[in-house]
Amino acid sequence: MLMEELLSVKYDVISGDFIRGGEASSNLKKLLNQLGIRSDVVKRICVACYEAEMNIVIHSVGGYIQAKIYNDRIEIIAYDNGPGIPDIELAMQEGYSTASEIAREMGFGGGMGLPNIKRSSDEFYITSEVGKYTKLKIIIYFD
Amino acid sequence: MKQLFHSVSLISEKCIGCTKCLMNCPVEAIRVKNGKAVIYNEKCIDCGECIKICPYGAHVAVKDSLDDLSKYKKKVVIPSVTLYSQFGSKVLPCDVNEALLKLGFDEVFDITFACDIAAEILKKDIENVVKPAISTLCPTVIRLIETAYPSLISHLVKILTPIEISAFLIREKYQKQGLKNEDIGVFFLTPCPSWVTKIKELSNNENIKINGAIPISDIYSKMLKYIKHRDTNVNYYISKTGLLWSYSGGQCKAIDVENSISVDGIKNVIKVLNDVETGRLDDIDYIEVLACSNGCVGGLLLVENPYNAERITKMIINKIDFTYKVFDFNNIKNKLINNKDREDKTLKLSSDFKSAVEMIKNMNNIINMLPGTDCGLCGSPSCKAFAEDVAKGLACIEDCKFISNGGKKDES
Ligand SMILES: Nc1ncnc2c1ncn2[C@@H]1O[C@H](COP(=O)(O)OP(=O)(O)OP(=O)(O)O)[C@@H](O)[C@H]1O
Ligand code: SF4
Ligand SMILES: [Mg+2]
Repeated sequence: MLMEELLSVKYDVISGDFIRGGEASSNLKKLLNQLGIRSDVVKRICVACYEAEMNIVIHSVGGYIQAKIYNDRIEIIAYDNGPGIPDIELAMQEGYSTASEIAREMGFGGGMGLPNIKRSSDEFYITSEVGKYTKLKIIIYFD
Repeated sequence: MKQLFHSVSLISEKCIGCTKCLMNCPVEAIRVKNGKAVIYNEKCIDCGECIKICPYGAHVAVKDSLDDLSKYKKKVVIPSVTLYSQFGSKVLPCDVNEALLKLGFDEVFDITFACDIAAEILKKDIENVVKPAISTLCPTVIRLIETAYPSLISHLVKILTPIEISAFLIREKYQKQGLKNEDIGVFFLTPCPSWVTKIKELSNNENIKINGAIPISDIYSKMLKYIKHRDTNVNYYISKTGLLWSYSGGQCKAIDVENSISVDGIKNVIKVLNDVETGRLDDIDYIEVLACSNGCVGGLLLVENPYNAERITKMIINKIDFTYKVFDFNNIKNKLINNKDREDKTLKLSSDFKSAVEMIKNMNNIINMLPGTDCGLCGSPSCKAFAEDVAKGLACIEDCKFISNGGKKDES
């Protein structure tokens, strides 16, 4: 019974939409506060979700963030429909970035997003297929 | 839930239920029930936006008065630094202080001294909290963080505000002279309702107790009678770095931290706090956050407009060549640091996780039935807020005109 999914929310994330980019993590944060999740945990979730969301905005053609809430943890799926990551090991390195000039001017493109997600999460899985998709699974326990 | 005092409140008789405040409250703390606005106290942050927007004067700031001044043996007033910007650039701070003495105070405490102490401690204090350090001068911002950004509580600096430091120093001084604490009356001349609320919260701490917060706009005309105009550069002891705390950006300048930002205006504050939460601003050392536009000179209970007040402050600063040299405060430093954990006042749906989850599910089901037009006719500021109200039992679904008219959303 402990494994049962209690609640699931899904937010669409639109490619290139810097104005609304961040809304998914902001909405998710409000929800977690309402549920009474400990604030330091909320902070980690917020950081991970935001970085995943912005990667979809900046690097992909668009996708979604889905958050599944269990009794003891949250599972975040960040999925997009490509272009995919050719070399995941390289992408995971701190400082590696292919961000565009525009994104850099907006303060993105430090190559810290994926490493930060990994650091903020308890479990982190990334899979990708070039030309098809990128999928992140982030698990963070509530205590 | 415990009853919270708020300075910002509503005179029901004056309210015609126009919904202007409803749609303009930055934290969605207002509802319209039975044709009258209602403020949800546990959500209200005392920013005063509703007071500014209400055309009928129904939203007001509850405040203190000087009526019981004579109750105290020693009457000391702490003026907000913004007071000195209210009488034009030709009226010097010393003359403003003199006018205050004529109103019956025994002492005008120099708040710029407390500002200089705060600045000195702040310089180091910002390294003792989670980066970016966030300033605590504005009580509205603190309430916002405590209710909606609990994860940022660990970013708040621990040094007391100059107002609290002033109260502490006043009480310490007169108690040393043999006065009983209850015989010392400490009054703050406030630029905003937010501080009226804040001093009530402080009142159970005897060391920094402030007996009343008097709006500057209330005392203004009484002071005018005594204000002298003499435009000379007399050397008076008020510190130019202290006066910097009047307007947005001044604090950062006073503590001389370059890698900092200053944010003013409640809507901008909300945007920036959102960014801090995502970790985007982790490289910044200090964030000065003030609810009013242009900082405290934009306070609702002031007379001069914020931009002219800033100009006036700067002109006065230019005439002053004095700053308190604060080094030897290590003996009192510990008393000026707030080491108590701040209360997490987040608005949870329920203390029980499972029932909170059920309420969210319920809310999501309700949202799916609503038109999403945020029309406000139900008395809630948005469809989302309405769904939350219904789930909490604070509103009923038929209050939605769309639903009560039998409206159904197209299934897409
Ligand atoms: N969803 C994605 N789709 C395609 N490529 C991606 C995706 N997410 C990351 N990448 C690739 O991995 C690189 C590293 O990502 P990471 O988030 O660590 O840094 P960044 O987004 O470039 O910069 P920062 O996150 O610091 O703003 C990106 O530059 C990009 O090439
Ligand atoms: S910015 Fe200053 S004047 Fe405005 S509410 Fe905050 S403390 Fe009061
Ligand atoms: Mg990134």
